[in-house]
Amino acid sequence: MMPDVAQSGPATGEWKPQPEVPAVMLDHVSKWYGNIIGMNDVSLAISGGVTGLLGPNGAGKSTLFKILAGKLRPSQGTVRLFGTDPWKNAAPYSRIGYVSENDSLYDWMTALEFVTTLARLYGYTRDEARVKAEQVLEFVDLKDVMNKEIGKFSKGMRQRVKIAHALVNDPELIILDEPLQGCDPLARTTIMNVIRELGAMGRTVIVSSHILEEIERITEQIVILNHGRLLALGNVHAIRDMLDAHPHSIALSTDRPRELGKVFLDHEEVFGVHFPEDGKLIIRTHNLGALHADLPKIITDSGFSVTAIDNPDDNLESILSYLTGGGN
Amino acid sequence: MESKPRPLYDKVWSKLDRKATAILELTLRQYRTRLSTWAVLSVGIILVLITVLFYVEAMNSEIPAVDNDGDSVDSDGDGYPDGQENLLGTSINNAESHPGLFDPPIPPDSTEDWINEDGYDFSSPNLGDSQGYDDDGDCRVKIGEVGWSSWVDENRNYISCDYFFEMQGVDIEVDSDPNVDEDPDEDAFFKETLHRSFVLGFGKIGFVFVLGIFIPLFLASGLIRDEISDGTLHYLVAKPISRTEILLYRLLGYIALVWPYFFALAAFTGIITGFMGPSSGFFRFQDLLVWFGIALAACLLSLTYATLFMTMGTIHKYGMVAAIVIGVWEFAMAMLSIFEPEATVSRISISHWGMVIVDGFSNMAWPDSQYLIALGESTSQYTDSPWGERIYSDQMPGTEPFSNFYHTTFLTGNPLQDVVISCGVLISMAIIMLMIAQSIFKNQEID
Repeated sequence: MMPDVAQSGPATGEWKPQPEVPAVMLDHVSKWYGNIIGMNDVSLAISGGVTGLLGPNGAGKSTLFKILAGKLRPSQGTVRLFGTDPWKNAAPYSRIGYVSENDSLYDWMTALEFVTTLARLYGYTRDEARVKAEQVLEFVDLKDVMNKEIGKFSKGMRQRVKIAHALVNDPELIILDEPLQGCDPLARTTIMNVIRELGAMGRTVIVSSHILEEIERITEQIVILNHGRLLALGNVHAIRDMLDAHPHSIALSTDRPRELGKVFLDHEEVFGVHFPEDGKLIIRTHNLGALHADLPKIITDSGFSVTAIDNPDDNLESILSYLTGGGN
Repeated sequence: MESKPRPLYDKVWSKLDRKATAILELTLRQYRTRLSTWAVLSVGIILVLITVLFYVEAMNSEIPAVDNDGDSVDSDGDGYPDGQENLLGTSINNAESHPGLFDPPIPPDSTEDWINEDGYDFSSPNLGDSQGYDDDGDCRVKIGEVGWSSWVDENRNYISCDYFFEMQGVDIEVDSDPNVDEDPDEDAFFKETLHRSFVLGFGKIGFVFVLGIFIPLFLASGLIRDEISDGTLHYLVAKPISRTEILLYRLLGYIALVWPYFFALAAFTGIITGFMGPSSGFFRFQDLLVWFGIALAACLLSLTYATLFMTMGTIHKYGMVAAIVIGVWEFAMAMLSIFEPEATVSRISISHWGMVIVDGFSNMAWPDSQYLIALGESTSQYTDSPWGERIYSDQMPGTEPFSNFYHTTFLTGNPLQDVVISCGVLISMAIIMLMIAQSIFKNQEID
């Protein structure tokens, strides 16, 4: 029983998952912290492709992810990763990559050291781990700075280091908790491309966000959580269509709201206007998409000056309130 | 790629080894980046250096020689010390009677020849054996005068001019014939006993207790807790590795830092004091065994404390408050173990067992310690204080500190058995704490 000083050759004794079981399976899972409910009777199975987990802050997205990451234990219900209870057996994590919403990293390490060290926890040898780490850092476009200390990285680079570390074991399931939060637009685009690419590679990716547009740019398959409950599950277009069928508002800021209101009333998509305050005009429509397409033309043809256009309804909260039946 | 099938233990071991070394290296590098690590380890080194300076100072001072038997005095003023006159049979009270009147005349000895002229001679570390040699002849001359009699065999063992050790209660005492080994060298005795007192006292209090508890308090209690509070624990947890393994490998990282530190520090102190200390050769080799025992005790104690503090840090973020209570208890029990080792209450502590290990090794390296104490206690002396007063002392200088810090092996009577039992107790405590820690940590939710 000599220590494996040479650290060469492949790691042995791979864990075999049960075939044909979903990567993630939750059966009536609830989680409460004292009297506060974090997750309420969620049943869900996810396998293959990119799934966007959508919900406002405090909806239970992180609770769900922490349960999947084996950090929290469900108060009720069963959780299975590749058919195995992650709380009892850490083996499924050899096929899972998890990116926490927490921004902490070992700041004193270089990106390469960080990914290499953690890769070794999957049983890779020193050399294998290093090769793998270089590969994933190249994949997230950090190869040229991989020998710099993480502490000197920008927010977007830190997120990518975290993503790289989660990819180092070629995971079949990748869990990304708010990977776009706090990133600049360039970093967002890079990270979104990485996620789309992973989906194209056939991996199961679950990515959470509280911003609908972000998720829409990544995937069509979404899960909506609110107050710990599963609200909707399916294709984002279906949900969009559902949303389009309900009355929408567009707010315009202009110096002559009444005159502009008359112009809009002539338009067939518009069924009403009103004036909440001076210099403000709100248009009500059943077909937001069509109106949005025509909006610039209508405004320029009318000749009035418009200083701001806003969609007060088009945020997650109003979608959620519509889905929960409290819509306007 | 073709691979030969490997035996199962090899598979398990090599995989375990890869994860173990990864976490061990991570832990060590984490220590390296933390300022607190360097601060704590430096404080330990400074503590040792300062204490060694005091030791060097003490070893360079000289204890004035005392004429314990008073025979360097020339009572009758004839120029001959009383010891010389007694030996040669002339009167110490008559100036007209002295060896200068012999044919041929014998010149007078100097006064110094009759100070420290009858040192401790003993060879057998057994109770009851005849010991000692009357170097200055003031007992042996009586044999010529009176033959065997109670005059020269006060201890009634039918051997004239000797002494033997005997048990008096729990202590060893000297039962001596008159004027045997009665005027030893104070400076040599003081330095020998002070040296041993230093090794034992500093070893037990400084190394084993103070460093043994403070190093793990600062370096081990955060092994898991800091990862939780930093929010970096999930990098280790959401991996195909059990939490028990994480705990174990983190502890291994701690051991890899702290154990070499203790051994290096003990070796450094052992080498300095080995060269500086009183010795018939150039180096006190037998001391190295004691220093090894001190390092071993410090290592095991710091391991047991580490598992304890790590567990408390894992249970609750304010678990360290409980560590203060435990620290006070451990301090009290350490002091009790040093100064009142027979008290059984101290066995309900961790520090006690470290002290037993040091005592075990000291008895292996210096089997004559309790006889030295008995001799020191049997030799009384008068000294002149700087203000001219004559002070009576019923023991040799250095006896008291040595008898405080030294202790015999009271557990089994055999030093090696004591050491083995104590090591076993400490390791068992560490294993039990580790099992408690892992059963808590395994079910702990991390936010």
